[in-house]
Amino acid sequence: MTNASAVEIEKKIEKIIYRTALALDDNDWKSWFDLCDDAFFYSITSFSPEINKKMTYFSGNKKELVGLMDMLPKHNTDHSPLHRHTSVYTVEVADEGQSAKAISSVTIYQNMLDGINSHLDSGESRLFVIGKYFDEFKIEDGNPKFLSRETKLDNRRLDKGSHWPL
Amino acid sequence: MGQIVTNDGQNVSGSPKNDSLNDTLKRANEAFIKEQQNIFKNVWVPVCHESELLNPYDFRTSSIGNDNIIICRAPDGKVNALLNVCPHRGMLIERRPQGSFLEGQASGNPKRITCMFHAWQFDMRGNCVYVAREKEGYQDRFCKDDAGLRRLRCSVGFGGFVWVNMSDQPVALLEEWIGGALSPIMRQISSSPLEVVHYHKEIIQTGYKDEILNGLERNAGLAANLFFPFGHFASHNADEKTVPNGENKFPAPNATKSVKVNLFPGYIFHLSGPTLHVSTITPVSQNQVMVENRGLAPTSDSEQERLARSKHYNSIFGPFRPLKSEGPTPNGKPESNSPELSKHYNEEWVRWMEKHYNENGSLTNRVVAQGQKANPNLESEASGPKVVVVGASHAGIAFADKLRKNNFTGPIAIFDRQVGGPMERPPLSKGFLLGGGEIVESKSLLRQKKWYKTNKVRLKTQSIVHSVDTKQKTITVNNGVVVNYDKLVIASGAKPRELPDTVGVANAFTLRQPSDANAIRQAANNADSVVIIGGGYIGLEVAASLRKKGMVVSVIEAAERILARVASKPLAEHFQKLHEKHGVNIFTGIGVDKINHEDGIFAGVVLSDGNEIKADMLITGIGVFPDSKLAADAGIETQREDGGAILVDEAMQTSVKDVYAIGDVSIRRDQSLAVESVHNAQETASIAAAAITNNALPAIQTPWFWSDQYDTKLQSVGIVPVGESDIYQVARPGKKEGGISFWSYRDENLIAVEVVNDPATYMEARQCLDTKQSPDPKQISNRSYSPIDSGGARS
Repeated sequence: MTNASAVEIEKKIEKIIYRTALALDDNDWKSWFDLCDDAFFYSITSFSPEINKKMTYFSGNKKELVGLMDMLPKHNTDHSPLHRHTSVYTVEVADEGQSAKAISSVTIYQNMLDGINSHLDSGESRLFVIGKYFDEFKIEDGNPKFLSRETKLDNRRLDKGSHWPL
Repeated sequence: MGQIVTNDGQNVSGSPKNDSLNDTLKRANEAFIKEQQNIFKNVWVPVCHESELLNPYDFRTSSIGNDNIIICRAPDGKVNALLNVCPHRGMLIERRPQGSFLEGQASGNPKRITCMFHAWQFDMRGNCVYVAREKEGYQDRFCKDDAGLRRLRCSVGFGGFVWVNMSDQPVALLEEWIGGALSPIMRQISSSPLEVVHYHKEIIQTGYKDEILNGLERNAGLAANLFFPFGHFASHNADEKTVPNGENKFPAPNATKSVKVNLFPGYIFHLSGPTLHVSTITPVSQNQVMVENRGLAPTSDSEQERLARSKHYNSIFGPFRPLKSEGPTPNGKPESNSPELSKHYNEEWVRWMEKHYNENGSLTNRVVAQGQKANPNLESEASGPKVVVVGASHAGIAFADKLRKNNFTGPIAIFDRQVGGPMERPPLSKGFLLGGGEIVESKSLLRQKKWYKTNKVRLKTQSIVHSVDTKQKTITVNNGVVVNYDKLVIASGAKPRELPDTVGVANAFTLRQPSDANAIRQAANNADSVVIIGGGYIGLEVAASLRKKGMVVSVIEAAERILARVASKPLAEHFQKLHEKHGVNIFTGIGVDKINHEDGIFAGVVLSDGNEIKADMLITGIGVFPDSKLAADAGIETQREDGGAILVDEAMQTSVKDVYAIGDVSIRRDQSLAVESVHNAQETASIAAAAITNNALPAIQTPWFWSDQYDTKLQSVGIVPVGESDIYQVARPGKKEGGISFWSYRDENLIAVEVVNDPATYMEARQCLDTKQSPDPKQISNRSYSPIDSGGARS
């Protein structure tokens, strides 16, 4: 693999991460799933200094996530939109261009819609969570697809809110 | 905003009766402050789990009400709770949520809690161990010994949780406070060590009480069926479609069904399928509450089991769980049992808050009164049991057994302060200390559960009998529950004597209850050496057990020989040689001048000859005293005005009609020496049972006793009157090698026989004493001489 093709893959990976952020911001689950391999696995984790352990808050494979999204209309939901601010820090291409890993920072804001008292709260933006994305990609014909995403949150105080991928 | 509820339970939040918004806000704030003072600073709070501070010097910080606290694990493994505030200037000391003091910090020495402002240092028990410039700055006006961190009442239990009570005088002990509320899940959460594997917290914009009451609405689908004193209640899953008859099988990874216990004022233990979820509330303001969520799993989980539990947990309790719509039931109304739950909860809340509204009644009285009212099952006891036994001791259980065997058909209730079913005590100083909880769990229960059911004996554990009213014929149990009786039998046993200098010293133990044995066993697993004060049977049995574990064992006996009060001199010499052969250091005729400890942990003893013995742990076995305070307080005659055994007649009846005393707590008026043994427990139980059922009193049997040390079994029959100069012993060889017996005589009369590793001779000796035969003392040493039917008769 030439340096030029490696750079090209890196750029594609950056783009797919940003496109994912947009799709997730829009709750456009289908567009996001289209960017994921069938073997995709998603998790939200956090390390708790309180109990000195790494924890998993949410996890599922692609099939489970699709099922969960289909059930969303039957769930009570905080409708306040989430906005992801993502910066891709590192991309490492491996296996002669067949796979890659990326680390990105993510800050997610919540723009209040319903809240406790929408009369007062709606319209306000609040910091929701902070953390990092740890992504793994499968690359076929020069095109990356998500194999896994681990959203490592710094938050352990998580007030009632989203119950879908961040 | 939190609701404001008046004494009569009326919600007056936003009521038109309120004359202004300011008044409403003011009252809400007042209610919040009262809740903090009246409730949260007086109840037992599960602040964290023991797995959050696994190792010595680990700590965890938390808060109760508006007080910051720190929970530390001391070097001996004990968990202590302290106020996290420096007594010097009132500054918060430790700010991290969790960590270890083992290593030094920028502003703190290793193994010390150090205030960053002026470097005052404290050990893990809160003792102040260093004050900067103590002498220069304070001269003699101040001593660091007077400046420890405030120690809080702290207990670890009920699934390994650390419970803290801010009050120095809680309205109830932890076991009393919990009562039976956790019993629906106790077996599950106690069957294997747990650890916290999930933690998250959330701030909810509502008052804590609203959050709890809202949570009750979410109990739809759970059938509330158990109410407990102090506002606790338990609900279980009524989903019989998936689980026909079973209960939750946690910690099995395939467990199903749901059991939820709500402890007042807001601590929820929820077994849901294979997961244990525990949530605790901390009010932040009148309209904000923090909820901490912990998920627990067995430490023994495989990776796959842990993963499966995690998925289940997250789907129900995780921060990203779906909030499913409950939907209407067929009749259009949500299924909820919340009205009766809310009522139970609100009544408790009002009761605690009333203390402020009405200073005339003490909180305790109100809670006690509530205890009588809240539990219909207990209330019904007031007209129920006719024979009430205080203490599930050997004597208490034997009494109930004899009573039934005498065809007594009335109700029998036994109240006991211990947790769990009563156990055989003899194994506690022997095999149990060598490890393997199975010995106590399965074999050493005095009676299996089935026995209680078959014999219709109601055993109420964790029940402390506070008082006896002999005129009204009632006893008062936990929380003020009053129980009447026709016949009362006190079988409260005895308590071990303690040396004053050992009280509060870590790694210093006495041995009487299963919990004592458990503590000794745990400490022994981390210790290399032990000092045992007292060379009686308990001390020697413990010495043998711990020596088997490979520990360095030193036994100190103040008398000139071991077993000085209970055995003949030849037998004592035999056992001294036995122990010395096994490597036990025995010191006789010497006292203990000083108990040494470092940072409150036992370090050794200084003998009266000035020599020091260093050791990792101490066990005191210097005898027991009758637990007769209950009787003495009730005006029942005891040996002395300030206590001693309860005096009884030949039918075991005390100075008060229809009140009996049996076992170690009693002594017949014609006896000079109390006998603490299983035999005595059984015999006195038989006598009392016969008296109550109007049967002929059984004949007094010759006392017997046994002891196991190493591979040596001692069996004795009769009581050796030690110290009487006219008593002499004759040794008789055993039938097999290693067997020997010592026959005690007064003149030609056989008094007692002590037999070592020779059961056949023991049976012969017992027959002799039961039939009042006295074998010839001149011939008894001859193995070929038969002591039975030898023609000798005792005068």
